[in-house]
Amino acid sequence: MVSLKAKGSFLRLYSWLPIIFLYISVLNEFDFNYLNLDYFSFNFPFILIFYFTLKDFKHFDYFLVFIAGLINDTVVGLPLGVSSFSYTLICIATSYLRNITIRPHPIKDWFYFLFIISLINSINYTVLTLFFSYNVVLINYLINNFFTFLLYLVFVYLFKQYLRGLND
Amino acid sequence: MASSRDDFIIAIRSAFLKKSTQQKFSLLTLFLISTFIILLSSLDLKFIRYLKIGINEVVYRSSFVVSIPENFIKNTFFEVSEYTTFFKNYKKNEQELNQLKSNYVSSQIIQSENRELKELINDYVSSSDKILAKIIVDHESPFLKSIIINKGSKDNIKIGTNIYDQSYLVGRVIEVNYKTARVLLLSDLNSNVPVTIAPQNIQAIITGDGDNQGQIKYIKDGFSDEITQESIIYTSGTGAIFKSGIPIGRLSILKENLTSSFNVEFYSDFSQLKYVFADVITKTDIQNFNDNNPELSDLDNTPMNAKLKILEDELKIIEDTNLKFKEENEILKSEINNLESEIIVFKNKIFLQKEKIDQFDIDKKELNFLRLNLQHGHKCRRSFFNSRGFAVGSEEYKECVLNKGRINNG
Repeated sequence: MVSLKAKGSFLRLYSWLPIIFLYISVLNEFDFNYLNLDYFSFNFPFILIFYFTLKDFKHFDYFLVFIAGLINDTVVGLPLGVSSFSYTLICIATSYLRNITIRPHPIKDWFYFLFIISLINSINYTVLTLFFSYNVVLINYLINNFFTFLLYLVFVYLFKQYLRGLND
Repeated sequence: MASSRDDFIIAIRSAFLKKSTQQKFSLLTLFLISTFIILLSSLDLKFIRYLKIGINEVVYRSSFVVSIPENFIKNTFFEVSEYTTFFKNYKKNEQELNQLKSNYVSSQIIQSENRELKELINDYVSSSDKILAKIIVDHESPFLKSIIINKGSKDNIKIGTNIYDQSYLVGRVIEVNYKTARVLLLSDLNSNVPVTIAPQNIQAIITGDGDNQGQIKYIKDGFSDEITQESIIYTSGTGAIFKSGIPIGRLSILKENLTSSFNVEFYSDFSQLKYVFADVITKTDIQNFNDNNPELSDLDNTPMNAKLKILEDELKIIEDTNLKFKEENEILKSEINNLESEIIVFKNKIFLQKEKIDQFDIDKKELNFLRLNLQHGHKCRRSFFNSRGFAVGSEEYKECVLNKGRINNG
């Protein structure tokens, strides 16, 4: 009885892992998001949100994603709402892709991901420079965009393993 | 054509409005809310400011808690690497400490001079208290260079408060919450600091390069040729954003082809900051004090004046001691001179006595020879009866006399 209860709790925790990882990555100062290496940075929340909203994962609540965006803005020091806006846009994009796709293909998803993150980073750059007069280095955004795109496939593999583990 | 457009509209509408069973909000609602929040955050409304402060307080603390495990690993790594160079650093620090001690005394004197001069021009005196603040969030973002400290409006931190690492400038506060504050580092692209370049005394503005260095953003035409490698950069105090005379870093000139770029290497390593000092300033106007002014005694009682008085007393004691040592030194010198002259006199005496002794020895030998000559001279003198004798006055004769006659070897 006790072991069944413990197993149930573990399963519940396991099923909430993506959202927990999302919150850790936005709260953690040594973020997955911005590793302090020259010419290397990638946006882990973008990959996480894109993949799990595309899969319509039941524990990946849009509202929680929205709150994670607000937290990311606070921690990074961006104007409030910018990351929430970006994350919501990813959710919209994945929802649209889900609606128009009959037969999903990982490579198609990958390039669609590149298009979406490029669009979102462009919007972010424009909003920060035009509306908030921030000085932001464009090359950093491009590098971030490139590595996020490259690492998508690696994380997709890991996420697939996670989902397989959940189904088992 | 029309059907594909309809499909697109349906897909978009579905993406925005369709709410799955587990979703609480539709994406359109969240999209509108986030846009609304961006608009509100661009407006500086009081309500929004307080709301933001509340969110910041909670998020910064949560971020600090979540970062504990990784910080622990990071700190352990740094500590281990620090231990390997421990002794070397200790020696270096010891030397630096001695240097700093002497610098401290001279800076105290400069401060008192500064105060006197300010009193002369009826300026204000800013008494500053440096409070120690811990860095609770140090987000290594490639876009924004900022840190979160655990001091806020409760500790008199204000927007623009200067933040130091030891005595080096690190940045200034750009956002204040009740118990936390965000500090914009000098390495951020949005940071602009009016500086003076020494020893050329050139005014300039530096900005961060978004990495870990700074660069000269503005300098008057023609002055760039005068700048040399390793020039010291400190705040000029122009615009009253930063206090004047705070060291920032050293200048390094990078020459590529025909163009040269000026980089600023900060004294402080922003990636290694754990604790910083926040300079909480309170301004007090200075009035001219007469000798009869009773408030003068209060002014004398301020801790700074008391410190200066102690230092002045110390200086006086050291000067007195120096004077005494000098006098003693003079006395000892004259004593040494006297003794040296006495030694010369004694040396002369000894020489004369030696001469006398030598003369006495010669006389004694002569007397002995004459005495023996009288007794044994006939045995040694050559004569008719003594054909084996020696001529008088010859060395052989003298030897023979001293030997009391010829030595018969046979």
